[in-house]
Amino acid sequence: MALASAAQPKPRRLAAVSARLRELWRYRWLIRNLVVSEVKARYKNSVLGFVWSLLNPLAMMLVFTVIFGVLWPNQPIEKFPIFLLCGLLPWNFFSASVTSSMTSIVAHGNLVKKVYFPREVLPIAAVLAQLVNFLLAFLVLFVALVVFGSNFSPWLWLLPVIILIQTAFTVGMGLFLSTLHVFYRDTQMVMEVVMLAWFFLTPIFYTVSQLPASYPLWGITLDVHRLFYILNPMASLINVYRDLLYNGYRTDPDFFIRTALTALVVLGFGYWFFARYADRFGEEV
Amino acid sequence: MTVLRTPTAQPGEALIELHHVARRFTKRTDRSRSLQELFIRFFRKRAVDPDEFWPLRDVSLIVRPGDCVGVIGPNGSGKSTLLKLITGILPPTRGDIIVRGRVSSLLELGAGFHPDLTGRENIYLNGSIYGLDRAAMDRRLDEIIAYAGLGDFIDTPVKHYSSGMFVRLGFAVAIHTDPDLLLVDEVLAVGDAAFQHRCMESIYRLRREGKTLLLVSHDLRTVESLCSRAVWIQDGLIAAEGAPGDVIMAYNRYVAAQEEAEAAQRRPPVESTRVGVGARHGSRSIEITHVELCDANGTPSSSFVTGETLIVRLYYRRHRPVEPPVFGMAIHHENGFHLFGPNTLFAGVDTELDADEGSIDYVIPRLTLLEGQYAVSVAVHNRADTETYDYHDRAYPLRVVYSPARAGYGMVDLQGSWQPPVPAGRAAVRQAGKGPAAKLPSESRAHESSPHPAHHQP
Repeated sequence: MALASAAQPKPRRLAAVSARLRELWRYRWLIRNLVVSEVKARYKNSVLGFVWSLLNPLAMMLVFTVIFGVLWPNQPIEKFPIFLLCGLLPWNFFSASVTSSMTSIVAHGNLVKKVYFPREVLPIAAVLAQLVNFLLAFLVLFVALVVFGSNFSPWLWLLPVIILIQTAFTVGMGLFLSTLHVFYRDTQMVMEVVMLAWFFLTPIFYTVSQLPASYPLWGITLDVHRLFYILNPMASLINVYRDLLYNGYRTDPDFFIRTALTALVVLGFGYWFFARYADRFGEEV
Repeated sequence: MTVLRTPTAQPGEALIELHHVARRFTKRTDRSRSLQELFIRFFRKRAVDPDEFWPLRDVSLIVRPGDCVGVIGPNGSGKSTLLKLITGILPPTRGDIIVRGRVSSLLELGAGFHPDLTGRENIYLNGSIYGLDRAAMDRRLDEIIAYAGLGDFIDTPVKHYSSGMFVRLGFAVAIHTDPDLLLVDEVLAVGDAAFQHRCMESIYRLRREGKTLLLVSHDLRTVESLCSRAVWIQDGLIAAEGAPGDVIMAYNRYVAAQEEAEAAQRRPPVESTRVGVGARHGSRSIEITHVELCDANGTPSSSFVTGETLIVRLYYRRHRPVEPPVFGMAIHHENGFHLFGPNTLFAGVDTELDADEGSIDYVIPRLTLLEGQYAVSVAVHNRADTETYDYHDRAYPLRVVYSPARAGYGMVDLQGSWQPPVPAGRAAVRQAGKGPAAKLPSESRAHESSPHPAHHQP
């Protein structure tokens, strides 16, 4: 089956891709409704409702200010609470999205087995629901940044673009992992560990410049900083967030372009992988 | 294997085309996900899996706009798999599928409901699962709410709904999505009787409006009255396709033969000590050695269609010289009703036996029994009915299968005939003594002379 589709002439494959995307577009209302229902359902039985989306980063902010201002004041990084938040909020968005989109197909197994709709709707909606949350939290961050007198970059207008890039990257990851999770439930256990390691390998509570610049391995001197960014798209992403919000730097174009390309490749691969196996979800879930 | 789905159907095109569709499943065991199994599978990719089975082997089917196709067949024959292939939940293993237009299914009502959202919110959510946008749902909202009849509960989270309310809302949304093709799979067995009636009414209404339906059902009467075409699926193949009456009759005959074969394996040999159904007693001066239920050609059978000829043939053997005996038979309905018990004495038939062995027939030229399971008893006794020679109580099952030309409900066709309605004025003419109805007291006279005051209420 796979060989046959690979051997098909290019125009037919292009047509198949465009048909798939058009179908996804026809189901955009489903994505929207799933996002709305997920966001609504999250706060359904809480007294404060969606205010929690605002309160949560505010509370984090408070905790960090107390810890790093009172208990542990000698940080080498100035304005450490907002430095931390600039990295932590995008990371939380990423981490929560990966977890919820990974399990989205299995969680909606009842629906997948009973009704037809383009299955990619589920992981996409899961990521977008987290995006809504992230954007609300970002509003709070903005206020905090103003209060703390952060150095906004004149290139701040790039912010929506970088959020879009991160979303694309996350959707790609979600599509790939949700497919894997349908066939191997081990994915979830493995990803718990991976996400923990990934968290520490991403410069969230430190800066890359604090790491040793080079590391000799079998006679080769590795450029740790460079490798860090190349191997970890989240490191580049968070660096860009910091450049725009905290450092007041215009950010490096090679960073920007490389991150965008990585995101597109991950999205493309994730979608291809998903589309290839989505047919079998109905029986495997 | 190709699957083509287009969102809209051009006029004149079929909505569904299945060409030699087959679908394979692999029986799942717990081991199949282990690394060892994976390792083995990696090296034997093309090996034939002994655990595989084919719920659908080779099915071709065309559904055109305005068709109403009923799919029948026993459990496990592949009906539900067929629906899942059409909706796109499962891909075919072999064969081509083309689906044109929007398909909604009543496979599982309320499957997409979110328990924490209100009924109203779920209407929008469910509508979008069927591929409808907000504007389209806005237009239908009032109608759906009215149809579901949930009253104030429409703004309550559906997790507080009773299962009946849940299904009602699900059905209301599904029926109002206005699909090009509606798939119905036995969902009508849910909810209370009133709701089931309303479901059926809605489906009949869609049918009258010329909507295209594909219906999987065990309720053959529904298929017969609703569908323009029936498809009988058996063991993953189409066993018959055509006018619902013909297909259903063929299917019923098959089922009856199947049951008969099973029953024959299970039935213990007749013992003389037993009482009740299947019991046998008598002095055996004359023994009924065996009994055949035959059709018009004299071929033994166990299932008959209303209106066919039924011959009950009794084979006897005389062991001692006796006076001319009385042969009798009786037909019982499966729930015990004794429907009819003719014998040779009532009929005044001479039963002088010329030989020790022979047979006697009771011929029913046109069977008036309706669909159902019956049992035949046979007996032979003396004229005074003081000595029973042999008696087989309900020992011979008789199955009457559904006939498309059914005359009515119940067990027996009394073969009356309906006359065209007559206006009230002309009833007087009939009463004056022209028609056969004249001897009956007419409705108006009975009313006037009625001694019951209830009839005189204003």
